[in-house]
Amino acid sequence: MRTLLLLLALTLVLNAQAVLRSGDGKVFWVENAAPGETFQVYVGEGDVPPVLGAFSAENGRLVFRPRFLLADEVRAIFRGVVTRFPALRAAAVPSTLVEAVYPTTDRLPENLLKFYVVFSGPMQRGEGWTRLQLLKADGTPVELPFLEIDQELWDPGNRRFTILFDPGRIKRGVLPLNEVGPALVVGQTYTLVVDSAWRDAAGAPLRKGYRKTFTVTEAERRPIEPSAWQVVTPMAGTRDPLSVEFGRPLDSALALRLITADVAGQSRLRSGETRWEFVPAVAWTAGDHRLTIDVTLEDLAGNRVGRPFDVDVFNPVTTKITGETVALPFRIERR
Amino acid sequence: MVKVFSSLCFTAALALAAPAVELKSAGPLTFGPNGTLFAGDSAAGRIFAFETGDTKPSKGGTVEIKGVNTKIAALLGTTADQILIADMAVNPISKQIYFSVARGRGPEAVPVILRADTAGNITEFGLAAAKQSSVSLTDVPAEGGRQRMEAITDLGFVDGQVVVAGLSNEDFASSLRSIPYPFQAATKGAGIEIFHGAHGRFETNAPVRTFVPYTIKDKGYILAAYTCTPLVRIPVSDLKPGAKVKGTTIAELGNRNRPLDMIAYEKDGHAYILMANSSRGVMKLTGEGLDGYAPITAQTEKQGVPYETVESLKGVQQLDKYDATHGLTLTDEAGSLNVRTINLP
Repeated sequence: MRTLLLLLALTLVLNAQAVLRSGDGKVFWVENAAPGETFQVYVGEGDVPPVLGAFSAENGRLVFRPRFLLADEVRAIFRGVVTRFPALRAAAVPSTLVEAVYPTTDRLPENLLKFYVVFSGPMQRGEGWTRLQLLKADGTPVELPFLEIDQELWDPGNRRFTILFDPGRIKRGVLPLNEVGPALVVGQTYTLVVDSAWRDAAGAPLRKGYRKTFTVTEAERRPIEPSAWQVVTPMAGTRDPLSVEFGRPLDSALALRLITADVAGQSRLRSGETRWEFVPAVAWTAGDHRLTIDVTLEDLAGNRVGRPFDVDVFNPVTTKITGETVALPFRIERR
Repeated sequence: MVKVFSSLCFTAALALAAPAVELKSAGPLTFGPNGTLFAGDSAAGRIFAFETGDTKPSKGGTVEIKGVNTKIAALLGTTADQILIADMAVNPISKQIYFSVARGRGPEAVPVILRADTAGNITEFGLAAAKQSSVSLTDVPAEGGRQRMEAITDLGFVDGQVVVAGLSNEDFASSLRSIPYPFQAATKGAGIEIFHGAHGRFETNAPVRTFVPYTIKDKGYILAAYTCTPLVRIPVSDLKPGAKVKGTTIAELGNRNRPLDMIAYEKDGHAYILMANSSRGVMKLTGEGLDGYAPITAQTEKQGVPYETVESLKGVQQLDKYDATHGLTLTDEAGSLNVRTINLP
């Protein structure tokens, strides 16, 4: 009997020192804090400060609301007694994949500027540069081919990662680059490797890695000339696609954003981003139409409409472009 | 009576609160006059100005915060692999250190500004309570499905202007903007095109990585470092919206390297520039006679302004000026990020 009473008393004392957490994990409290007494909530071990949050007295309870939801394991200390709470999140299951790498073509110019890696779901920031490699044909990595900026270039949903080649490693002009030389050499084959360890937004690694193998072709230094594009027009009364052959691959993101038609519809890229197709929302009407092309459109080497990527100071080839857009007229004929 | 008073206060506080444009991401930081903190927000495409009210002068002291990433993560109730520290800036008046941090690494990451006092104690800087203004960098409001974003890579305040360097995730071009402060409602940060000749016969409109405001013979310049490490001099008076500017390359600091951060200072009557790099350590360059170096136009490796590498400084990721004789560094030492004041070399 005496033992039972002792146990009961001990339990009461321990409970009095226990910190409690609400089911949703948003609120912590103790029942009987003395005036001026507080407790601390910690995430992480060792010499770490308690988590930020606000204390309040509510119905005789001392309540703590952390600034952020604490999804990891939590330690709370009241009167020297530690209460531990398990993590609120389950271990993440790998589910995300690399959907595509642009450019999709496997023949890429020596002065290629960038890749886009498109994932099937949102990814984490901060580790991209440790998850990417450019391998030579013999499997050895190209040293520092990319412009590794800490900010990382993602789209707003963290699904598309932009890889820029280091401008110092892109071959230019006639003089050889000292020291390291260009990252890509004509005629050579390379493989871009995306490591499966790259974590998605839920913290899980990719379901599998991705490899894109390509061969390097001569540098592209010509500005884009929309007047030279081949336009294939459909007949009036149909919703057949309008088709535009660029004659070379263009930047996928820019081509989809910066080429617009004068009617509503959907655009898409085909044939390794060398062809733009447009399907109107309603059937084509006969008569004159036009495409509008923003001059900031780029090809794979950053050459723009009327202006190459590098301005050649000896033989400038920059064409005079007066506006911010150029028009490409086309005519839809009656059947 | 007390009740009436408190409700009056509440009303006043509401009236004072600026129209809420919320910070969506916290990137580069820099201080302007009177404790004004500028923060670049890449996700929203905006530059924010916060009047911190942190204007009590202090001489500061020797600061050392070991494991600042672990400490900040603990404060924010998470682990160090779930935060990212974007930048660090010293308030030149109070010597308190401000950090821009993302809590979380996915698209739902929450931006937080934290501040360490001169004893190294870190607390959150309450953005909601600070008087704020902001300016949009884009003409086009973000729309659903739009994927273009611009990462703000550096921010500086010079001659009443906020200078912003950015890098797009789609089009490749130098974007440097100059925005007068206080922000005007109609001000758009119009871009400036800067060409420089570090590639043989070609000039490139390449992105600025980091820059520092600098005065040469009473004329304001920015010294901009590019990714393949040319150092380029650009007069501030040229930084006008829509201008095409030709920067003058005054140094080539070597390939296979990214400049990370720069500060300018004086020591023993001489001017210097300290530059942290990804793979070439911390360089100390002379800051004198920078108008006298012949422009570099031919492709070259390491020439122009002379420099020495400061061997004692390793793993420096962030650099700011602390006071006339001290700098503040954020170094990565085997995954532990440490903040400490250093004697300027």
